[in-house]
Amino acid sequence: MPIQLTSQAYCKMLLHAAKYPHCAVNGLLVAEKTKEKKRDSHSEPVLCVDCVPLFHGTLALAPMLEVALTLIDTWCKENNYVIAGYYQANERTKDSRPNQVAEKVAARISENFSEAAIVMVDNSRLTISCFEPIVLIYDHHENKWKSREVTPDCFEDWSEAQKITSALLDGRSYENLIDFDNHLDDLRNDWTNPVINKSVLDLC
Amino acid sequence: MASVSEMYDVGWEEMRDKLRKWREDNCRNSEQIVDVGEELIGEHASKLGDDVWIIYEQVMIAALDCSRDDLALTCLQELRKQFPDSHRVKRLSGMRLEALERYDEASKHYDAILQDDPTNTAARKRKISILKAQGKSTEAIRELNEYLEHYGKAAFCLEELMMTNPHNHLYCEQYAEVKYTQGGLENLELSRKYFAQALRLNNRNMRALFGLYMSASHIAASPKVSAKVKKDNMKYAAWAAAQINRAYKVS
Repeated sequence: MPIQLTSQAYCKMLLHAAKYPHCAVNGLLVAEKTKEKKRDSHSEPVLCVDCVPLFHGTLALAPMLEVALTLIDTWCKENNYVIAGYYQANERTKDSRPNQVAEKVAARISENFSEAAIVMVDNSRLTISCFEPIVLIYDHHENKWKSREVTPDCFEDWSEAQKITSALLDGRSYENLIDFDNHLDDLRNDWTNPVINKSVLDLC
Repeated sequence: MASVSEMYDVGWEEMRDKLRKWREDNCRNSEQIVDVGEELIGEHASKLGDDVWIIYEQVMIAALDCSRDDLALTCLQELRKQFPDSHRVKRLSGMRLEALERYDEASKHYDAILQDDPTNTAARKRKISILKAQGKSTEAIRELNEYLEHYGKAAFCLEELMMTNPHNHLYCEQYAEVKYTQGGLENLELSRKYFAQALRLNNRNMRALFGLYMSASHIAASPKVSAKVKKDNMKYAAWAAAQINRAYKVS
């Protein structure tokens, strides 16, 4: 079951990467929880409705990652979401391959969600106009992570996603994006990003 | 487009002070530095006195971050005119070459500085940054180890930092995170102690609080510990949990 991205999920990922251009960034993708019985049609894509930006800079230290996964898991349960994927933008522009950190986190997510995917941001194609999707989606097949061709079908509505992301990047909305690191620096910072979510809704 | 001084209703002194604060805090908010700095040096350079040179340096580096080669070059040229033989300015020229991805030229630039002054750590660090940017991690690590030849690995470095900066709760906390990540009961216990120490130095460090909770919980859950250690760690974890809940309530 391939994953699909909503405009909100896509634009928050890119805003996170844009906020910290000199750092690696990562985060989690969440999908709405569907009843177990519905999942026999394997052609139904999993819609990732939102993402939670996690860290910037050092991605690989264990304790805060565990804390984040625990807190976000609780939030998911309260909102009938499930953690369905992981995204990462590497530090270097030309490097968009998933590394050990990505594979480890994704493996953890797969324990609770078998079709977990890794979404890597292709930094070299990040522009304000966003005229093409710049993510690479990796699925787990036969013990390896393989990338899938990304088309507008990987989005709930590509032209809407493109329009919104471009507008928010242009307006420097990334300055207000909150990730889990920001939350740890000051608990009042809300990693669910209600302000940005509202901006997205207003632009729909 | 409105100027910074118009948009935020600030005078040149406030802009200069903001730049100084960002320098002192080592912030990498390059877009803001470019916005404020470009206007400051464009319209108020004569009022800045000797500060103008360090501001040129700060704005130049921020300009490189924002792909503003025009601005970077302007700053660099002013600095070259004022300090024609300076190694510090040569390093900035090298950084510009790095930004333009002319890595071989940049490397030669730093080699020239090092020939003249082998102890120039700034040039040495730039050379390592080039290797990192090119994805040559193994070589970067090798050079870094040579540079840190008295040190060794991340944990050891942080140990040195902690010794020379005993009041810095951030080094303490990061050391605890490294130990936790290394894993194993002994490292977990060490990490708990350092999280606790970081908290003593700054009782509002949330990472230290969370870290204390996580490490104590894991130790208590380990089958290898004695009943007393288990009991003690459950107490630490419970205390940390209560503190975390309190912190969220007041936020």
